[in-house]
Amino acid sequence: MGRAARPRDPPSLPLMIKPALSLLLCGLVFLAGCGRAPEAARDAGGGGKRLTVALLPKSKGNAYFISCRAGAEKAARALGVELLFDGPTDTDPAKQNEIIENWITLGVDVIAAACENREGISTALRKAQARGIKVITYDADALPDARAFFVNQATPEGIGHTLMDEAARLTNAEGEFAVILSTLTASNMQEWLKHIRARLAEKYPKMKLVAVRPCDDQKDKAQAEATTLMSAHPNLRLLMNICSPAVPGAAEAVKQAGKAGQVKVIGLGLPNENRRYVKDGVTDSVILWKTEDLGALTVEAAVALARGALQPGATTFRTAAGASYEVKGDQILLGQPFIFNRANIDQFNF
Amino acid sequence: MSPSPTVPRPALRHETVLLAVVVLEWLCFHALGPRFGTLENSFDLLRHSAEIGLLALAMTPVILTGGIDLSVGSLLGLCAVLFGKLWRDAGLDPAAAAGCTLVLGALAGGLNATLIAGLRLPPLIVTLGTYSLFRGLAEAITRGADTFTNFPSAFLFLGQERWLGLPTQAWLFAAVAIAVWLLVHRTTFGRACRAQGFAPEGARYAGLPAGRQLAAVYVLSGTIAALAAVIYTARLGQARADAGTGYELLAITAVVLGGTSIFGGRGSVHGTLLGVAALAILNNGLVHARQPREVAGLLTGALLLLALAAGTGPKLWAARRARATPPPSP
Repeated sequence: MGRAARPRDPPSLPLMIKPALSLLLCGLVFLAGCGRAPEAARDAGGGGKRLTVALLPKSKGNAYFISCRAGAEKAARALGVELLFDGPTDTDPAKQNEIIENWITLGVDVIAAACENREGISTALRKAQARGIKVITYDADALPDARAFFVNQATPEGIGHTLMDEAARLTNAEGEFAVILSTLTASNMQEWLKHIRARLAEKYPKMKLVAVRPCDDQKDKAQAEATTLMSAHPNLRLLMNICSPAVPGAAEAVKQAGKAGQVKVIGLGLPNENRRYVKDGVTDSVILWKTEDLGALTVEAAVALARGALQPGATTFRTAAGASYEVKGDQILLGQPFIFNRANIDQFNF
Repeated sequence: MSPSPTVPRPALRHETVLLAVVVLEWLCFHALGPRFGTLENSFDLLRHSAEIGLLALAMTPVILTGGIDLSVGSLLGLCAVLFGKLWRDAGLDPAAAAGCTLVLGALAGGLNATLIAGLRLPPLIVTLGTYSLFRGLAEAITRGADTFTNFPSAFLFLGQERWLGLPTQAWLFAAVAIAVWLLVHRTTFGRACRAQGFAPEGARYAGLPAGRQLAAVYVLSGTIAALAAVIYTARLGQARADAGTGYELLAITAVVLGGTSIFGGRGSVHGTLLGVAALAILNNGLVHARQPREVAGLLTGALLLLALAAGTGPKLWAARRARATPPPSP
């Protein structure tokens, strides 16, 4: 090689294997490894083995999924199954697929995935199904043909109604309120807003929705919008924030305006990013689901699917612990959202 | 030729050390994970490392000239999006779209080449610029949200199925690997690349067409990034603007782990292949050994530093001993 041409180089040794030879060796080792394949596969597929459930989060370090995992581990222990939890630690969108493909080779029994790329991941999930592995999704769905069930943490109706009911409870069902959302065009925002409006028209005639403002998913913009809303509508009783950055944004605006308690703040978000405002009495309630329950239900459903206790077409799903969940089509519903407030927020860390 | 006993023992060749590491890794994971050694897993390994392997192969001649190409990961993303656009919106069939994508990749590589060879700008700065430019273009074309999917199964065959017993893309990868190996180790072009990296001024005084050579390695790098993009799209069945994020660093890691000097002039393509293998086996094997994925980053770093130290440490030691006791004249 190039090095050899240099005069001060030492002469070659028998130990110096030529590149072609080294590659050949490499290949030999590779083949030697492959030779063992069939028996190893048979061993692992044996009958007395514990059921293995593989749980895939969108990203591994995310506090939301860490708390899902905690619930999932409890359920796995109770059911006597082995739980694998692995997910991407960086932003490479191909990682979820690679992890699933590794699990297929490992020979897990069920894969439960929260999907970052709806279409891309479906390729890998279909492959898993073709190899006889059961697949369910949770948190974010794949394409319907790539999984048996989707564990749906919240329906748009459930979210819309819970938000509106909570707003009514805090304002004694009268007065003006405003909504801050991410963008006017986002489909989930539209869907939630539709159900908020329907509930308002149906049950709370004395309440009035005076404005709907976008914050582009930015906390500082939400803060500015909230400030403007409070000065434009002096009788405003409540700010309803239906995207997570808007909740602390609006709370900061209310706090700085000295209107804590006078203008209530509620919204969809994570307990951790709102804890300070909830404890200070600025934000009244943060609405989400119990992520631990989501993780636990996912594992329960995965195990039931693998053991044949959960079949397509079911209308209810009864867990081993005895809890019952509604099944709508191919979606298992976690149920009504959970309301985090001053009294209970310290029990949650995500 | 057997070495005379008085001559100090030379250090092990870097590739030999690395080969030992790869074999050790293989045996280790084979013992830890019952399914690691299966044929199916070996195919997964090949599939998962094809794209980064291709980028690393193209990166080798670039680094040999003393340059670097940071734009390949972003170019992979851009080419994936362009491929999707050509297929879905321009109505080309996948083969034609792939052909056009390769040409576009070569053109993008040509942009790097023009700035580096033509304007004599430092490769690090130029490709840092195109790194952002290509990713930005990909995001602008899709507005960050558009996803290309539902490719015909004949195209997905390239990324997900087997042909003649091996994953389809493995054949392409092997063809490119052989071509690049021949180019670097068996042609005057390869020698000139090394000369350029070893002593740019010397190469110029020796009358080598330095500009044309430099341009060629960046165009090659762009073309291969486009090929990697097509394979990536076939493997995932999806093209999005975020494809290939961070791949440039993985490719550079593989090349450097493979013993190519980051200053240019010294290195080999088989070293790069071993580097790719060492990283891929580590990533895959840890899953089979049921170890957390975070450990992979840690061990990759440790492996890189250890392999570099193992390659140069004994050499330094031998050199010091040689200086201390000069060999008697024959």
